[in-house]
Amino acid sequence: MTLADRVGQAQSRVLRYRVSWAQLAWFGHRLSGIGVLLYLFMHIVETSMVLLGPDVYNTTLGLFRNLPIRLGEVLLMAALVYHSLNGLKVILIDFVPAASAWYRPLTYGVIIATAVAMVPLAVIMTAPFMPW
Amino acid sequence: MSVGRTVWLGNQPVPRRGPPEGTRWERRWWWFMRLSGLVLVILALGHMLIMHVLVQLSGQELNFAFVTSRWGTPFWRIYDGLLLFLALTHGVNGARVVITDLVHAGAVRRLLIGGLWVIAVLWLVLGLLVVVFFNPDGAPAVGPFS
Repeated sequence: MTLADRVGQAQSRVLRYRVSWAQLAWFGHRLSGIGVLLYLFMHIVETSMVLLGPDVYNTTLGLFRNLPIRLGEVLLMAALVYHSLNGLKVILIDFVPAASAWYRPLTYGVIIATAVAMVPLAVIMTAPFMPW
Repeated sequence: MSVGRTVWLGNQPVPRRGPPEGTRWERRWWWFMRLSGLVLVILALGHMLIMHVLVQLSGQELNFAFVTSRWGTPFWRIYDGLLLFLALTHGVNGARVVITDLVHAGAVRRLLIGGLWVIAVLWLVLGLLVVVFFNPDGAPAVGPFS
């Protein structure tokens, strides 16, 4: 029994059916999209503070300069990278029917590529808050 | 309990998925999501890469002076204005699709989607005002926080 099967068995004890990667990819696309949209609404308000002058704007940005917020920004980056790659996958399958046979490898590829890209990105983004 | 073998390439290719059946507007939105998505891959990831990675690597700090120098050139104002418009429209339409999936047709759905568009327009106007009319010389030097 492969590792994927073991994970699937454990999972099917929680839900009555086995969740497929296709479902997770679809749900992840929506979740990341809604997450980025909520951030965008906040980001527009935060950036509009620039109209109130350097004092207000620099103070506002100062509120965001801490580790918890930075970790949130790493999450935002991950959401954006995943949403971009998965969106490209959706477009590919929409316009190249033959690619739909590769649905599973493509989905794994999107997830792995997101995880791999996030390693250096997370290291760079959190660097100012790390002891080294 | 038996578990099926993991099939990697077991899917039969499906026929080409074109724009969905439905109203003309729904098909326009379908095309908009794909075209704006392609542009946003460059604009949004580029924005994040500049603001969170390149700024970090070059040891710069995001502050009022940074914005002033960045928006001193029309290129970055157009870039940010386009990013703002496409990201907000793409995101709000995506949220509309999610609401349509989750809420039965009726007054509640109309209220949610109507409210969503009102908020979207307000935020879009605010954002565009900032991108177009930001003027470092006209900004007050000291604010209520000092």
